[in-house]
Amino acid sequence: MKNYLKLVNFEFNRIAKLFAVLLGITFVMQMIGVIVKSRQYLNIVNENIFEAMMSKTQFLEQVGQLSFIDIARSIWFTAPIAICAAGIGFYIFLIWYRDWIGKNTFAYRLLMLPTSRLNIFYAKITTILMMIIGLVAFQLILIPIEMSIMKAMVPDEFRNDLNVKELVVSLPQLNLMIGSSIGEFFLYYGSGFLVVSILFTSIILERSFGWKGIVAGVSYSALAIAVWLLPLFLHEFVLNGFFYPMELLILEIIMGLIVLTASIWFSRFLLMKKITV
Amino acid sequence: MKKYWKSIAVIIGIILSIGTFYVNSAISAEHYPVLTVQTVNGDVEEMESLIIEGAYRNLSSMNYLGTDLKITAQGSSYNSPSLLDRVTGYYPTVIKELKEANRSFMRGKSLAANQYFEDNQFLAYANIDQKISSLGSSKFNFEISVLNKADDEVNSFTLKVPVEDGLDHVFLEDVQLVKDKIYLITQNMTIKNDDFNDEKRVYEIDRISQKLTNQEALLKFTQWKESLHTHIQLVEGSPTAATEHIIMVKTEDTVMEDTESTRVTDSKQEIISYNLASKVTETINIPGLNLEENQLSFVKGSTIYFTRVEEQELIVTPYQLGANQVEQDYRIQLRSTIDNEHIESPIISVEEDKLYVVSRQIDSNFNGDVAVVDIKTGEPLFEGQITLGNSSEEHGDFEIYMHEISVKQ
Repeated sequence: MKNYLKLVNFEFNRIAKLFAVLLGITFVMQMIGVIVKSRQYLNIVNENIFEAMMSKTQFLEQVGQLSFIDIARSIWFTAPIAICAAGIGFYIFLIWYRDWIGKNTFAYRLLMLPTSRLNIFYAKITTILMMIIGLVAFQLILIPIEMSIMKAMVPDEFRNDLNVKELVVSLPQLNLMIGSSIGEFFLYYGSGFLVVSILFTSIILERSFGWKGIVAGVSYSALAIAVWLLPLFLHEFVLNGFFYPMELLILEIIMGLIVLTASIWFSRFLLMKKITV
Repeated sequence: MKKYWKSIAVIIGIILSIGTFYVNSAISAEHYPVLTVQTVNGDVEEMESLIIEGAYRNLSSMNYLGTDLKITAQGSSYNSPSLLDRVTGYYPTVIKELKEANRSFMRGKSLAANQYFEDNQFLAYANIDQKISSLGSSKFNFEISVLNKADDEVNSFTLKVPVEDGLDHVFLEDVQLVKDKIYLITQNMTIKNDDFNDEKRVYEIDRISQKLTNQEALLKFTQWKESLHTHIQLVEGSPTAATEHIIMVKTEDTVMEDTESTRVTDSKQEIISYNLASKVTETINIPGLNLEENQLSFVKGSTIYFTRVEEQELIVTPYQLGANQVEQDYRIQLRSTIDNEHIESPIISVEEDKLYVVSRQIDSNFNGDVAVVDIKTGEPLFEGQITLGNSSEEHGDFEIYMHEISVKQ
């Protein structure tokens, strides 16, 4: 346990800079976005009310109030989220390959540590999870700050205030990140954890067998996903919708746990017996 | 410890931020308007068995997802969609109840209420399975299941739908079971040489021999003939409403098409009934009842109920199919329809000699009406209003649309 925690800390410190950069990009771009979008709206207000002499009620009827949803839908808000997602996707591979590629093969030292090699696997997947959830948590802290900036810039009667929860429910991309209940949170991130572990197993396959390993890795991923989703396929194409939704959900959770166990066990076997530096 | 500060900081940040989010959303979730039923006249006991179902939507929150609510004599209760509801989507209460009562029978069955029939003895289900071959021709099968409630036995069978030339689509509209005959009412679409034709058809299937014993085209029509647009709507009761009469409303609209817009210049409506037992189709002509003003609102057994709103009154006109006669109107005082734009004919239902009337819409400014009328005497048993209970609280703009009323026996 202690070794595992030390490894997690070690892995996390290695990506702390990248993590900080992602946080920074998100912060800066979204803040600019809030200011730019609020300004744009205020300009429209000025043009219509002070220059075109439109009445306030008429304006609100035609253009409407500014809501934080309008800001959250803009590229200023969504682009940093996309960049973070891409960054994490990239790092899922880099977290392994950076140990093999480089001046001195670091992987050699890592594998020689007097601890279970599976701890390396666990530490790396924990780090990825910490990064993802960390970014989501940061976004949740940012939103209220951004909302208060909007409140400071746009007068009361021109804005439609909502709380963080309402915003999350209204935007699919945020809803996917946080879910509107704690159950959804565990389902989403549980599935994410499973997918990352399948990817890790494929990467270890490649590290163990080279070119042949890529083929094996791709086949393994396809097989694992197929087994995971088997109840869904059966339900849809063979059994004519036999299961009730709740049963299907439970079956999927069980299959997910089976595939996860298989993936970890297989990785352990590869790390112990087959991996080459 | 210094080595660990980054990880620790991130973990604390995660727990605080995500924890706060879920705790806050759990606390802030409950601020739906509380609705209560207030008695204006009569005894509130009369609406004890009435359940009004609707959807609540907060207009100021930009949240387009509605929340289901139920209103009873006790007041309102909200049911925010759970994770599973959001995955599976909304389905009607009738289906929910059927599922709870017949768990194994309902497996793998469609969620559309019109595909079911239920009475004291049987629960019947039908579905149309269409298979399109590689050559583009289609094969249709009826999939039928009947549950005999007496011995819990399920009879499932598949029948080929006799295919006529050019049959392109078969829509199942209603299922009825009368004296061991299962009736499937469908709309069939045929395409022949680029001609699109529709017909309402009834298939009669013997429950015991499991054979197609009869089929008949009720009405043939063309949806678009130049500027004439025809559609025929089957008036559906709930699946538990067994009836020998199939009621259809045929609407013929003359449509003017300009370059900019299309508009209906002339509209004609006709009510057609088909008797499953006697196999007689007839057009219902009701002297003195203008179909443009009166809306066909409800069918119960062999009685059709028409409604119209006149100033502050709802006028319900019953019409007897067998005797072909209009009976005495029921007049119900409406208190909530304040401006003319908001007048929408309320939902009505007849159950056990009582006529139930409920407004279709409630919002921040308008209350809703509820009334129960004795069908035999025409006397109001209860008149009430659905009002905001805690009006002192801020609710913003909201609207509630009623979509179903049911009476628990």
